[in-house]
Amino acid sequence: MAELYVKPGNKERGWNDPPQFSYGLQTQAVGSKRTPLTKRVAASQDGSPRVPASETTPGPPATGLPPPSNKAPRPPPKGSCSTYSVEPTSSPVIESETLLEDVLRPLEQALEDCRGKVRKQVCDDISRRLALLQEQWAGGKLSMPVKKRMALLVQELLSHQWDAADDIHRSLMVDHVTEVSQWMVGIKRLIAEKKTLSSEEEATEEKSAATTEESQTVPGFLGAL
Amino acid sequence: MATYLEFIQQNEEQDGVRFSWNVWPSSRLEATRMVVPLACLLTPLKERLDLPPVQYEPVLCSRPTCKAILNPLCQVDYRAKLWACNFCFQRNQFPPAYTGISEVNQPAELMPHFSTIEYVIQRGAQSPLIFLYVVDTCLEEDDLQALKESLQMSLSLLPPDALVGLITFGRMVQVHELSCEGIAKSYVFRGTKDLTAKQIQDMLGLTKGAMPMQQASPAQPQEHPFISSRFLQPVHKIDMNLTDLLGELQRDPWPVTQGKRPLRSTGVALSIAVGLLEGTFPNTGARIMLFTGGPPTQGPGMVVGDELKTPIRSWHDIEKDNARFVKKATKHYEMLANRTAANGHCIDIYACALDQSGLLEMKCCTNLTGGHMVMGDSFNTSLFKQTFQRIFSKDFNGNFRMGFGATLEVKTSRELKIAGAIGPCVSLNVKGPCVSENELGVGGTSQWKICGLDPTSTFGIYFEVVNQHNAPIPQGGRGAIQFVTQYQHSSTQRRIRVTTIARNWADAQSQLQHIEAAFDQEAAAVLMARLGVFRAESEEGPDVLRWLDRQLIRLCQKFGQYNKEDPTSFRLSDSFSLYPQFMFHLRRSPFLQVFNNSPDESSYYRHHFARQDLTQSLIMIQPILYSYSFHGPPEPVLLDSSSILTDRILLMDTFFQIVIYLGETIAQWRKAGYQDMPEYENFKHLLQAPLDDAQEILQARFPMPRYINTEHGGSQARFLLSKVNPSQTHNNLYAWGQETGAPILTDDVSLQVFMDHLKKLAVSSSC
Repeated sequence: MAELYVKPGNKERGWNDPPQFSYGLQTQAVGSKRTPLTKRVAASQDGSPRVPASETTPGPPATGLPPPSNKAPRPPPKGSCSTYSVEPTSSPVIESETLLEDVLRPLEQALEDCRGKVRKQVCDDISRRLALLQEQWAGGKLSMPVKKRMALLVQELLSHQWDAADDIHRSLMVDHVTEVSQWMVGIKRLIAEKKTLSSEEEATEEKSAATTEESQTVPGFLGAL
Repeated sequence: MATYLEFIQQNEEQDGVRFSWNVWPSSRLEATRMVVPLACLLTPLKERLDLPPVQYEPVLCSRPTCKAILNPLCQVDYRAKLWACNFCFQRNQFPPAYTGISEVNQPAELMPHFSTIEYVIQRGAQSPLIFLYVVDTCLEEDDLQALKESLQMSLSLLPPDALVGLITFGRMVQVHELSCEGIAKSYVFRGTKDLTAKQIQDMLGLTKGAMPMQQASPAQPQEHPFISSRFLQPVHKIDMNLTDLLGELQRDPWPVTQGKRPLRSTGVALSIAVGLLEGTFPNTGARIMLFTGGPPTQGPGMVVGDELKTPIRSWHDIEKDNARFVKKATKHYEMLANRTAANGHCIDIYACALDQSGLLEMKCCTNLTGGHMVMGDSFNTSLFKQTFQRIFSKDFNGNFRMGFGATLEVKTSRELKIAGAIGPCVSLNVKGPCVSENELGVGGTSQWKICGLDPTSTFGIYFEVVNQHNAPIPQGGRGAIQFVTQYQHSSTQRRIRVTTIARNWADAQSQLQHIEAAFDQEAAAVLMARLGVFRAESEEGPDVLRWLDRQLIRLCQKFGQYNKEDPTSFRLSDSFSLYPQFMFHLRRSPFLQVFNNSPDESSYYRHHFARQDLTQSLIMIQPILYSYSFHGPPEPVLLDSSSILTDRILLMDTFFQIVIYLGETIAQWRKAGYQDMPEYENFKHLLQAPLDDAQEILQARFPMPRYINTEHGGSQARFLLSKVNPSQTHNNLYAWGQETGAPILTDDVSLQVFMDHLKKLAVSSSC
């Protein structure tokens, strides 16, 4: 699960800047949940405004009070998506601190797995970025949500869920780019390299296991590539 | 299908098509008397969840001048394995693969619900998508930092095998060589001198004779020497180095003295980008993405000098012919846009600055190539960041919502000809028997090139009925049109989307009521508006308004019911009743009125108007207004000053802005803090409801709109007040007897006055 939050736009730099939606909300928004607000009322043919039906109910005087909840008919607000907090979710306080070691060690292990199979320069590059991650984490420069999500990412990496790990990396890049941009690309590369390695391993295993199946499973056009 | 409304809606969902007329007048003369041309809004790549593409190629009509694609409207002789083309009546043999067909064993393209079908073409080499970033470095520190981060972020959103490149510019233009090892290298160009494509390619070593020197890395096998240019590398190979390179970008180092603008070589930078892709990847999907923070100030394509005391051109300057750079700059960008379109590439412009940045001159770059135009105040805003993220959004199948290098071909049955198209495309100048001599929009062709498109890109296609007046209703009683869109899918596959539709012909004299009932006033309003905006780009504003007015009066004369010279007797049937108010709001819209807008803003608004689908276009013409109160559920209300009531909250969507407006009483209650008292939780919910709905719109809209939260008496209430029909003004306030609604301080004509005049003119026999 990605983070779901909306934070206000940058009013200082742009007038009426819209709020910012987290990666989780953006990708979730694919299927609209509600009927869009696209209805119009037709003006009468002489163009004069029709008196709205509810006009007959006397509007409360300007100094009146809003109808209290128990009396007034509850306005059925269309929205039910008000569950998102408006500020970035400050995660529950009483939770165990994510430890740098828990995140870094598996990453370093993954890098070790790649050594010898991936070009040295790439490995060195990744290593440099892991060091940067370590430095920033240790220096207290990373926020709680970033640490939490890094822990999740590592979990996915350990259980070989490459796409899930990649998605977490993407959500971190979108939501926390300022914090993570310098080193995250190393993690991204690491996920990609591990993914390639594991699919190569699988391929060789499969090949040795069942060479007969090959002709059936590979569609013609893939073979042409 | 019970009603035409349902029919229209179903057609839009299935085929992405909305026609102005859904029953067609059968003669040329009658068709011209209908005033609104026979035309449609076509969304070629409309997202269809229930349309998996078929993995074979379409069957074409064998007549060389026709080549229409086999479709459900064709007559099939299953025994003889023949099919008759429904456009040219040619009888065709089915290809060998179809020998097994029968009435009960039909290929998908013959089934009625596959009036729209998509084919995947297996032939031809697949080439990766290309993204070339062209980045202005004359930005404030804060902005440059935000832009760099957005670009770094985009590397995570791009497809891993896409190619990326980087050009930066300020006073000089730098083309960065991307390599995995060694030190960063770049080629530096002067920003004042335009270079031909040949010169650029020579200097970058892209010409055949001087292929990039690859001796440095002999270890790397080059399976595609063509694909790996030093300037464009796959994201998955180069992401780490490019992240560093972007991170190290500095502001343009050339000093800018007080009273001067920075020297910005946008024209040359864009020219180099176009030339680079032209030489390396012609006719493959590519995006040039220009990020700029101000106007071009030197070299070809400059729109203003570097002296701050000379302001950038305004509409007033342009009207007075006092804008010395406009023509020359426009010519430069038009030349680039046409070359880009010829290469099948597209150009996006992301312009973030408080002042104008030259969108007026550069607009052709996006408008001819199908690129995006985004206008914001700063790169460090959510408006830019999220709009940029949404470029890379994916559909339900996990594919990017972008298509490249498309050609749209239109085929018609004999009684119809093609008059033109309006949308982000260029003509391919393909003449033929079905091309009309009378042009509407970009005409004189049956094919257009669309270099960049997405599932919402929508084109207005205009037709002409050519059947002679006394000729009988054409054979079969139906006319047909086929739209064939060939494009590069974001998965790099070549695909062909085919939509074939048919509509009944009717004799306009004896069956006018059928034609009338099948009028789609929403589609008609948008199609007429596109014609108007298209004209407005070349004609004076008042002429366009006069033309629109004349069309409206003629339409009312033709389809209104009235007694001559008696305005009070005038009535329009339901299928026309909304049309006059659409025209009323269109006349006031920023697409036709330039007052209060800069030339850049007008270009920006018009850019989006010419490509959005019907629903969004209609929102732009007549914004949506919803009202929230204790009196019932949220409801749509008239876009009228009478809807501004003290105990309501209004939510207005103009496409470019989302406005929430609290009525006077509501604002007072909020100020008094009722929403925080548990016994008034109700009020809290009322305040929240429009916020939630606004959020829903904000989450889906591209580009991100501005978001305005205001209340009665607030300065930003002007966004609402300038859009509603001023039915109550300071002039007539007391005539209404009661004080409901909010009077608008304006001398603008209200819808009531507009309608009075319209009726008078419509029933008058003198015009």
